[in-house]
Amino acid sequence: MQQKPSLMTNGASHAEHALATPASITSDLLEKHATPASAFRWVALLCTVLVVLGVVGVVLRMSDGVSDKTVWGYYAALFVFILSTAQAAPMVAIATRLAKGHWRRPISRIAEMFTAVGVLNLLLFIPLLWVLPSLEDGRRSLWFFGNRDIPGYGYAPHLWATLALLFLVIGGIAMLWVSCLPDLAAIRDHSTGRRQRIARRMARGWQGTTRQWEMLDRRVGILGAYYFMMLVFVHFLISVDFAIALVPGWIDALFPATQAFTSLQGGAATVLLTMIVLRKAGYREYIELDQFWSLGKLLMAMSLLWFWFWFSSFNILWYGRKPNEQAVLDLFITGPYFWMFITTFMLNFVVPFFLMIWNPIRKSIWGPTLVASGVLIGTLLDRVRIYVAAFSIPGEDAAAHLLEQSPETVTPELADILIWAGGLGGVVLVFMLVARLVPVISIWEQTELLLYKVHKKFHRTEVLVLGKPE
Amino acid sequence: MALSMNAAADIKSVIGLFQDPDPAADAMDALSEAGFTQAEYEVLTGTPYPEGTFGEAEPVHKLYRFPLLGAACGFIFGLLLTVGTQIAYPVVTGGKPILSIPPMAIVMYEGTMLGAIIMTVFGIVFESRLPRLFMGAYDDRITEGYIGIVVTTQKDRISNAEAVLKEAGAEDIKRGWEGD
Amino acid sequence: MQEHIQLTQKEINRELLRGIFVWPKWWFASVSFLILVFLVGAGAFGYMINKGVGVTGLNRPVFWGVYMVNFVFWIGISHAGIMISAILRLTQAEWRRPITRAAEVLTVFSLMGAMFAAALVHTGRPWRAYWVFPYDFSRGVWMNVRSPLIWDPSAVNTYLIASSLFVFVALLPDLAIVRDRSRGWVRVMYSFMCLGWRGTPRQWKLQAVAGILLSALVLPVFVSVHSIVSWDFAVQIGTEGWHSTIFAPYFIIGAIHSGVSAVVTVMVLMVWLWKWDNYLRPDHFDAIGRLLIVVATTWFFFFFLEWVFALYTLEGPEIALRELQIFDWPMSGLFGLFLATAFFIPVPLWLFKRVRRNLLLMFLTTLLVNVGMWLERFLIIVPALLRKSPMIFDWGTYRPSIIEIFMVTAVFAWVTLGMLIFSKVFPLLPLFDIKESMVGRDEIKIGRRTVPASIRE
Repeated sequence: MQQKPSLMTNGASHAEHALATPASITSDLLEKHATPASAFRWVALLCTVLVVLGVVGVVLRMSDGVSDKTVWGYYAALFVFILSTAQAAPMVAIATRLAKGHWRRPISRIAEMFTAVGVLNLLLFIPLLWVLPSLEDGRRSLWFFGNRDIPGYGYAPHLWATLALLFLVIGGIAMLWVSCLPDLAAIRDHSTGRRQRIARRMARGWQGTTRQWEMLDRRVGILGAYYFMMLVFVHFLISVDFAIALVPGWIDALFPATQAFTSLQGGAATVLLTMIVLRKAGYREYIELDQFWSLGKLLMAMSLLWFWFWFSSFNILWYGRKPNEQAVLDLFITGPYFWMFITTFMLNFVVPFFLMIWNPIRKSIWGPTLVASGVLIGTLLDRVRIYVAAFSIPGEDAAAHLLEQSPETVTPELADILIWAGGLGGVVLVFMLVARLVPVISIWEQTELLLYKVHKKFHRTEVLVLGKPE
Repeated sequence: MALSMNAAADIKSVIGLFQDPDPAADAMDALSEAGFTQAEYEVLTGTPYPEGTFGEAEPVHKLYRFPLLGAACGFIFGLLLTVGTQIAYPVVTGGKPILSIPPMAIVMYEGTMLGAIIMTVFGIVFESRLPRLFMGAYDDRITEGYIGIVVTTQKDRISNAEAVLKEAGAEDIKRGWEGD
Repeated sequence: MQEHIQLTQKEINRELLRGIFVWPKWWFASVSFLILVFLVGAGAFGYMINKGVGVTGLNRPVFWGVYMVNFVFWIGISHAGIMISAILRLTQAEWRRPITRAAEVLTVFSLMGAMFAAALVHTGRPWRAYWVFPYDFSRGVWMNVRSPLIWDPSAVNTYLIASSLFVFVALLPDLAIVRDRSRGWVRVMYSFMCLGWRGTPRQWKLQAVAGILLSALVLPVFVSVHSIVSWDFAVQIGTEGWHSTIFAPYFIIGAIHSGVSAVVTVMVLMVWLWKWDNYLRPDHFDAIGRLLIVVATTWFFFFFLEWVFALYTLEGPEIALRELQIFDWPMSGLFGLFLATAFFIPVPLWLFKRVRRNLLLMFLTTLLVNVGMWLERFLIIVPALLRKSPMIFDWGTYRPSIIEIFMVTAVFAWVTLGMLIFSKVFPLLPLFDIKESMVGRDEIKIGRRTVPASIRE
């Protein structure tokens, strides 16, 4: 049997190039990892400046005190935005690994690296714990079985949300670390000095025995499933305690699921944008059309589902003409945040869907990238719309049956803008720091692909044969 | 192929059966060398083979026109239905406006999808050049795994085609039945 | 697939066309029995038309009983076909090949059964059921577009037409195969049906494109149908336990759960009845079992969300409903049975590979799932109506009458009958799809191990 291994991926591209053996792939990726692109330092510096500005913003915001939650809306929106994009990005790796598609291989590490951003988000979460009203204030709650005799019962939401977020982040980093073990061993074996010392510590004696590979496979699978379930659970807790419970008369069983699902869309968009950046940063041979095409198809399907989730909620709330539900629709859709909603609707559904149904746009690199940028902006506006609106309701209204009057649109103050700049800069900075520790393209998954991919002559044509190990 | 639909009296077809793809592909090459155009011969198989297996050209189709047209028709139909009927007999139900967008959107969406799907199916059948009244040369063994090379050409060139197929190693050669 | 068995086209033809050309005794026996059950149901229907809806157990406040449960249940089952066929086609999963046709056919017959169960039998004056369609004779009254009971027929009819056309398009190559194996007037009939299919590269390419394009078009319809059926309940503000935004995804995921389980039941029956174990390997059951675990767990999450938010408001009427469902006999018994059969027995069992690969266990667990899911619909619809009024003296009781039971069983009989008769006229396994997997099959040698592979263009 003629075996002509090459670096092509399932489907589209058929170009030849020199990266055809495990050794060449490993050395190429290690070299790219050791010497980052020239712009790296400048971007890192910029992000550090932004983070410093963000810290200034947080201090400014804290100086207003934590008792009035109406000014903390944008802060909460930033936290949820990061939860909905960066922390959901690992799902691209987890779900596609479950579905066993080979196209995910070059981008799975990128997706997994975003779990580290959870640490930043955990830090961001801390001030919110002081801002969130306690149950003793009479606000409605998911935690209706609170026993008032237990001291601190009013802080049940705070406790559970913190624990869930903590376990999410720990699980995510564990998954990242386990998945990186073979690559850390590769760094250990091919470097010197401090880099080697760090890699040796982190690689934990990885040798590549059969037993180690089997354990790796199992652990990554289990940690992936665990991360997914924790992510959904965290979205559930955050969406209920930080949004639904703060708006009187808002009873929406679907919203936790909507938020979890739209964050999957945000995560896919995040990975897509990271892909285009890395392509420019020198990983062109690895991140090819196939990755953009497949993720683009996912984005298209998710945009359709975005609409479905939204419409399911909207239809029920709109149809019955109940005053409390009409008030909720006014707050989030037709009232003070109308234009934000329209923009989100366009960017998260209309533009992605109606652009991506056209094959030339879907099967390109620029098409999905453009759509993903729109989706990220749309997700940002969506989280701002929900959380700023929810936080803007004054504390006295908390126990009412319905929201009598929607508060005015809350515009961001200087502190909010600084905090957002710091948060977004922080996300990029964390990713870049992790990229210094582990290779951004998974070396072992790339070399593994060589085993299963063969180009063969099939009568008068040439075909790609893809192996399916179980 | 439009030729056999017209069933002109002097258009005949002949089929050569092969067991393996490679001799069949060779036969197609031989036919091309013998002067037959690409429109005059084609390969029949009982199962789809990867594109280009027999060296044939990629079939070009414009199927996308059909779902677009169908969707447009369905959308307009849904719009007329929902708007027309409600304006004709305006009864306020449940405190909702006569022309309420969410329900209209639902019915219009279903109309659009129905139109798109029906036209797509029509397009698939049409672009497959079906229905085909006169099969021309065909053999039942094709659906058993044999590969058939069919040549449809002028009556006086048929024996030439037969000879080429025989030389290429066809297991069996049959003349087609042209509608009469 | 790991357990692929390489067969020639001739062998495939002979084995898979057995359903059409061979006439086993069990087929006659089961068809006769099912026709009998169906006729009994038809007779009950006739009796109901004659005497009025009062012969059923329906009354104020329980105006929707087992007919509605049956409607939602069969709409649910109908979702399997498209789920398996379309989504697995779009993700290019190899293991879908033997399953797609049976799933699609199940969809078509379940939809028809659902329409009987609701549209025709359920309305007080079924002879006026056509009023949902826009016609205007001299009265000048049109249908109320703002009602979910109008969205329903538009969606279900679209889905029915779409699925039927989908089945038809995919059947064309197989009809050609049957045509080539028949003689006389039967051959003429099949030639007519397959529209003169020959198997040119153009026709095969369009089949491939058709599969993908129609899958992509039908999937949104599939999502919308059950959402719209769920909105029959969810948009209502008067009945406790129904006015929840989660109903659309909850019903859809429940439909996928019960539908995919039904497909597994059908798969096992195909192996047992027609001896198609060369095509439906334990690998297929393993793959679909793993899918079921994910679907069932997602369903359970939505079930949990529905309950959490039902209790979130701590409103009296809602609490009364939930107490009825959990604590009051017989609802409490049904509730426990439902949870056990729909989730807590099957899913832990499916976690074990040995269970997933065992046909008998898969048959039993998936039957259990459907028992549970039928009960789920019952527990959503009937208790809510029993407690519909905030006035306790207006709470009702409900007991399905024999007429209702006959008509419910008639729909089960209809669907099974439909599948059996279909299997006599058309092949239940897509032959050309399976043959394609034989052609597109390859192997890659890695050291001592040979890994199965497939050809991608």
